[in-house]
Amino acid sequence: MSDPLLELDDVYKSYGEEQVLSGVSFEMDAGDVDVVIGPSGSGKSTMLRCVNRLTEINGGDIYLDGDCVTDADTDVNELRKQVGMVFQDFNLFAHLTALGNITLGLRKVRGMDKAAAQEKGYEHLEQVGLLDQADSYPAELSGGQKQRVGIARALAMDPKLLLFDEPTSALDPELVGEVVEVMRDLAAEGITMLVVSHEMGFARSAASDIIFLDDGRIVEHGPPEQLFENPQAARTGEFLSRLETAHEEE
Amino acid sequence: MGTPESTTAGRTLRARAAGLTDQPLTLLTVGAFWTWLVVRWTNDFLLDGALIERNTSFFPTAPFEAAASTLGGLAASLGPVGVPVGWVAGFFEFLAASIPYLPPLATGVWATILLTLLGIALGFFIAVPLSVARVYGGTLTRSLALGYTELFRGTPLLAQLFVLYFATPLTTIIRELPTVGAGFIPAQAFWVAVIAFTLNSAAYQSEYIRSALNSVPEGQLTAARSIGLSKVDGIRHVVLPQGLRYAIPGWSNELVYLIKYSSLASFITVRELFERTDAIASETYRYTELFVLAGLLYLALVISASLVMEYVEDRVAIPGLGTTSR
Amino acid sequence: MPPLPLQSDWAFVIGNLDLLLVGTGVTVALTATSILLGFLLGFPAGAVEVYGRGPLKRAVETAGVVLRGTPLLVIIILLFFGLSVSSSAFVTATIALGLRSAAYQSQIFRGALQSVDEGQLEAARAVGMGRLQAIRSVVVPQALRRSVPGFQNEFTIVLKDTSIAIVIGLGELLTIGQNLYQGGQSTAALEIFLTVSLIYFVLTFVTNRSLDYVDDHFSIPGGERA
Repeated sequence: MSDPLLELDDVYKSYGEEQVLSGVSFEMDAGDVDVVIGPSGSGKSTMLRCVNRLTEINGGDIYLDGDCVTDADTDVNELRKQVGMVFQDFNLFAHLTALGNITLGLRKVRGMDKAAAQEKGYEHLEQVGLLDQADSYPAELSGGQKQRVGIARALAMDPKLLLFDEPTSALDPELVGEVVEVMRDLAAEGITMLVVSHEMGFARSAASDIIFLDDGRIVEHGPPEQLFENPQAARTGEFLSRLETAHEEE
Repeated sequence: MGTPESTTAGRTLRARAAGLTDQPLTLLTVGAFWTWLVVRWTNDFLLDGALIERNTSFFPTAPFEAAASTLGGLAASLGPVGVPVGWVAGFFEFLAASIPYLPPLATGVWATILLTLLGIALGFFIAVPLSVARVYGGTLTRSLALGYTELFRGTPLLAQLFVLYFATPLTTIIRELPTVGAGFIPAQAFWVAVIAFTLNSAAYQSEYIRSALNSVPEGQLTAARSIGLSKVDGIRHVVLPQGLRYAIPGWSNELVYLIKYSSLASFITVRELFERTDAIASETYRYTELFVLAGLLYLALVISASLVMEYVEDRVAIPGLGTTSR
Repeated sequence: MPPLPLQSDWAFVIGNLDLLLVGTGVTVALTATSILLGFLLGFPAGAVEVYGRGPLKRAVETAGVVLRGTPLLVIIILLFFGLSVSSSAFVTATIALGLRSAAYQSQIFRGALQSVDEGQLEAARAVGMGRLQAIRSVVVPQALRRSVPGFQNEFTIVLKDTSIAIVIGLGELLTIGQNLYQGGQSTAALEIFLTVSLIYFVLTFVTNRSLDYVDDHFSIPGGERA
């Protein structure tokens, strides 16, 4: 058993006076699927963006596969080749087709030639079930399709770790399912995923661990059975029951 | 945060062109205009007057003169009813008077087009880095770029021409350069004008491009960085392709502006369309006919430019990439 | 002892500051009259383009296209030497600049009128106002506010375009500069034209800031660009 794939060690992040993350520490092994839950403003997205250094931390360290990535001399672009990200607002490149969105990184960052990049692009489009939309532009796709392309784009870089920043929050309810299905398949394939989400169904069935973040601190961290059936902290139970009630009222 | 120029004026250009370009008459007229110009230039410059003598117009004046006097007589005899006929007579008179001047004006048009194209193209190459500096640069680069833009947008183009022509040794320097003034290559004043238009146009173009770059959602660059593209590559491959498309309406506006303001080069002895018209008018005193003719020629250039930019906009259009960001 | 050229060139400019200030005054006056004329013609023109119909609308549109597609130099020469609308260079320049500005202001107002949500007009009619009344009391005030940025832009354009009146010998700022250069000290070219440019720069800066203030002063709290 080797080093954990991802390790956050006592991470601090503040914006001016506001302390967003306070002493966050956890580990993930390769193949793990960790889901981060918590109230809004708890620092979940910030924590995610610290992992691929879209946001810089103020204290502590982050390690990917044993390497400290928060060092000043780490090549940030190299890091992002190994850590993929899926965004709440999709952020698909509006001027490129679905295929183009995927091949841009392959050609410009991984240096593949056009033909090879296209072939790989088609593979990943098929993986997310969108082979027939290869030549469509983002504006022509539904929300669910856009997000699936976003996932394919991140996957194509063959990252060690995939970050999901509330991937279904911007989707109409009937479109959520297709995206969650893709995420389930990826989990089953053994892709290491760190997911910030409100989708409790996914968390319950596909997660290896759930992290409950509140006010910038990890309140509880354990397998789904623990948090859902037998939460160790009172706040965990409160938060989860509030979510249940909200879902029932829908 | 778009500058009003890029949105309102952009709509100005396209709305106006849309009103006209549906008319087949417009396309026909513009087509005739360019046909005449190209034949004229070919004859004068390439064939050295082979088809027809240099200063002689292709079109005969006699028939128009005859028509004018006949209709004029008819109008007079019809009394008040004949007023519209009088207008037609006046129109033919106008044609008869202006036709002989078409050849020298065509030479002027050539200079105008050259000035405009050079000014806007060279200006573009300065404008893109300038706007990238304004949007993505550090404090120093941003301030320098802002200073440049404010300077050239805050002072009249004519004053800038005067400064470059009278107050700097540019003319002397350029005159010494090889090939300047020889054969096809215009003389030094022309190049001073090109430099002035380039510097001025760069400032205006950078404003349009800057606001267009700001219209590109921030998430685009974030996503580009998240797959490992460097900031520069992200700007180059993701932000600019979208931003430049947003900038087309404003840019088209600048093209039209330059076509019209190229006339200012006449003040520093460049023999473009306005200067040619003025030179002939001051000799013949036919100010109205000549400057109406010049106005029509400028109008033809402006409409042609609008048509071309409409075509370009259509060609590079991407579904969903509108002129306003969602 | 030969005079130090640099010093006497600046001294020449400073000595003629009074002339330059007169020129500046003419420039400012011409800008004001032209913008005013442009507004008086341009606002109705814009309204016609939005609410008008048939031959009137087409005539206004065509006039606009022609005025926006012709160089100001051509318009001003045509009016002064061709049609001789006035013997006064100032009046002719005002008409030329005013017509051009009207053509552009009409587009500003057209855009602003069109940007006011349809719903505003509907709501006004639903309360019982007639169409003209509704436009006047509900759409126009909002449109005028939205026009301010475009108007601000137009103001500085006209200010700079006044320099073109040099062609009919009007004594505005650039003309004075040119006269000083040609009539007086030709070595002072740089100093003269830099000073002239500086004055224009100050004028545009002051205009922009003043209009920013006007914009703020008349804007609705919370903004109405909802």
